[in-house]
Amino acid sequence: MDFTFNEEQYFFQQTLKDFLTDNVTPASIRRRWDSDDGFDQDAWRSLCELGTSATQIPEDCGGLGLRFDDIIMMIQACGQAALPEPLVEHSFIAAPLLAQLHASQPSERVADILAAMASGEAMVLTASMINPYVNFAHSATHVLLQFGDDLHLIDSKDCTLTHVTSVDRSRRLAEVKCQPNGTTCLTNGRLGSELWQATLNRGALANAAQLLGLAETLVQMAVKHASDREQFGKPVGVNQAVKHLLADCAVKIEFAKPVVYRAAYTLAVAPNRADWAVSHAKVSATEAAQLAARHCIQVFGAMGYTWECDVHIWAKRVWALANEWGDVGFHKNRIHEWLVQPKALLGPEFTFGRRNIRDVEHID
Amino acid sequence: MKLSFSAADEAFRVEVAQWLQDNLTGEFEHIRFRGGPGDEHVFVEERKRWEQRLAEGGWTCIAWPEAFGGKQATIEQQVIFNEEYARAGGPGRVGHIGETLMGPTLIEFGTPEQQAKYLPGIRAGREYWCQGYSEPGAGSDLGNVKTRAVFDEATQQWRINGQKVWTSLAHESHYCFVVARTDPNQVGHKGLGFFMVAMDQLGVTIRPIEQLTGTAEFNEVFFDDAVCAADDILGAPGQGWAVAMALLGYERGVSTLGQQMLFQNELDEIIRVAKTNGTSQDPSIRQRIAEAHMGLKTMRYNSMRMLSGAEGSQLNREAMIYKLYWSSWHRNLGKLAMDVMGEQAEILEAAPYELNRLQSMFLFTRADTIYGGTNQIQRNLIAERALGLPREPRGQS
Ligand SMILES: Cc1cc2nc3c(=O)[nH]c(=O)nc-3n(C[C@H](O)[C@H](O)[C@H](O)COP(=O)(O)OP(=O)(O)OC[C@H]3O[C@@H](n4cnc5c(N)ncnc54)[C@H](O)[C@@H]3O)c2cc1C
Repeated sequence: MDFTFNEEQYFFQQTLKDFLTDNVTPASIRRRWDSDDGFDQDAWRSLCELGTSATQIPEDCGGLGLRFDDIIMMIQACGQAALPEPLVEHSFIAAPLLAQLHASQPSERVADILAAMASGEAMVLTASMINPYVNFAHSATHVLLQFGDDLHLIDSKDCTLTHVTSVDRSRRLAEVKCQPNGTTCLTNGRLGSELWQATLNRGALANAAQLLGLAETLVQMAVKHASDREQFGKPVGVNQAVKHLLADCAVKIEFAKPVVYRAAYTLAVAPNRADWAVSHAKVSATEAAQLAARHCIQVFGAMGYTWECDVHIWAKRVWALANEWGDVGFHKNRIHEWLVQPKALLGPEFTFGRRNIRDVEHID
Repeated sequence: MKLSFSAADEAFRVEVAQWLQDNLTGEFEHIRFRGGPGDEHVFVEERKRWEQRLAEGGWTCIAWPEAFGGKQATIEQQVIFNEEYARAGGPGRVGHIGETLMGPTLIEFGTPEQQAKYLPGIRAGREYWCQGYSEPGAGSDLGNVKTRAVFDEATQQWRINGQKVWTSLAHESHYCFVVARTDPNQVGHKGLGFFMVAMDQLGVTIRPIEQLTGTAEFNEVFFDDAVCAADDILGAPGQGWAVAMALLGYERGVSTLGQQMLFQNELDEIIRVAKTNGTSQDPSIRQRIAEAHMGLKTMRYNSMRMLSGAEGSQLNREAMIYKLYWSSWHRNLGKLAMDVMGEQAEILEAAPYELNRLQSMFLFTRADTIYGGTNQIQRNLIAERALGLPREPRGQS
């Protein structure tokens, strides 16, 4: 058993983090808010050049063929920066969906689109039935559409978008309508159903990891403010009432981390058996992030209630991601259903799942 | 204890409901249920006209003594008025700071001349007030006020210099009550004065501050040699703190009755949404709705108990715990609303940034735990003043 990340995994995370710190600042996020499409082409190109779009794509399609636990901290970094561009949706949700399909049912068509995704030539987003809207659909070249168990690859030119406004100005949502047909269908039936189940898990876990990152930045901002802002002749952070607000967040965040990381592991080795682990992660990370958003605004006082203060950039992303890919109620229900099934894997020998889980299913 | 309304009270209820039914129509129909907390920016002109319509009907300032144009309404009548007002969807009151905070404070501390100068405008629903307490350096530490008031012997006027911040509705107000330092040699609660300053003058500049709701309900207010008549100080120089605190007493008192009725409307709306979108079938949501209902009832019982024992702005212990209770309850209600809305919670009413009622409410609950004394400060007050625990060290002021 080893619950730590290796050097390579830290390196991937750090590279992305450094890029985001330098290039995705609150000021640049606000510039996106004022633009029509909310999308920074330069940032997107650089992110693809960095290799982030290739991580989940098999090596024979020009990718790096990394596992989900290799990249989970990269997703967390996207949350830390409150990155607006749909890197997570493209690279960590759509790409592994096609990669999983390609592993069980190789085809030239899928290999081609995977290669185009790796290079950044194509931008592919997922329209799963669990989410009513797709983020940045207007910037995509293709949409992967769920239609029952069917998986369709649809050119975005053939989609009709109805835009709605998110509370998070960084998100550009649209309802996607299109006519799936025999030629757009990549797969269906049992495989389709498995792919969508795994995709729901990846989406939920990706949101969990982002929520974790968002929470970390919120707490950092609050710590800084509590140290700088003086009242009664001392920094407000001197007061236990303030300290405890932030300490409570730190505890929630730290305890959510292993839950998210272990779910990433399970998802990597058995994406269709990961429901319970993923749901646990989504619940823990959502609760940590919601607490962080609440306490961070509280620590900022009236300042935290303004548009000018950057806190709401992160707090509103928490608001949005909390309900995407299933809200807390949905995921608690999944855990409950898993627990009450007759063959539930309960007991100490199943702390880390089925004993030979690696032999049961392996995607790489 | 007598926990029922008298026949006279019930007759009063019918009268209020009838008047609202007759008047909250036509030009006012579309502002029903609008303009409450978090929604103050909408239909401002219509709501000002509505204040005047209320005034003509004798329904502003009903708690004031008859001598000042009020009805000297009993607590029961005030409760009834607020209940019926909320039930009818009465719009958010533009004049509430004047009616519920400034008015009672003027009645308690003002000279007859001051009362004659300011109360009629409030009573008529024509003159609005804002609260100039907070400053960039004086939030929780209100005693750190730096705005200065100097008496100019030549002109026989006060001259005010300094900056206030987070001033709600300053841009709609005719007057601001300003806490300013009259004695530069004093710090903290000493050497302060409480001034009634006209907003429409060269020395006052108002700059809106955009809130995270995308609207601007509060402002920065700059006083740059603003003038204030010699008589426009409430209480004596040096008594500002006492007056300012008495006013906060009114903030936590009767004026909260109306707020609870708004809460009831919000809870009703959440239940309506839950029934429509099916989340009312979800056991955890059902329990939280039940908890919200119980919490609101508890709040009402407590405030009635508190009001039936209070004299003027003198507050007892129940009053002290009230702010913390309602702000925390409301915060949970906000979260419940968003959980009931589910995936629609992040979708706004319209572009560019129009929040729906529940979304505004959710965001506003973030402010509820901050303004009027943060939850942390409220807990300190309860622990130190109500329970008598040793005081936390407070720095120099
Ligand atoms: C929507 C809104 C409307 C407002 N309207 C008005 C208005 O009309 N007029 C007006 O004058 N003001 C108004 N205010 C300002 C409000 O009164 C202040 O925001 C409030 O007093 C807190 O001050 P602050 O924001 O400077 O926070 P700070 O005092 O800087 O506090 C920051 C954090 O530190 C904590 N803290 C500070 N001191 C202590 C302590 N000793 N012990 C424990 N914790 C502490 C606080 O609880 C908070 O979490 C409004 C505020 C809001 C949000």
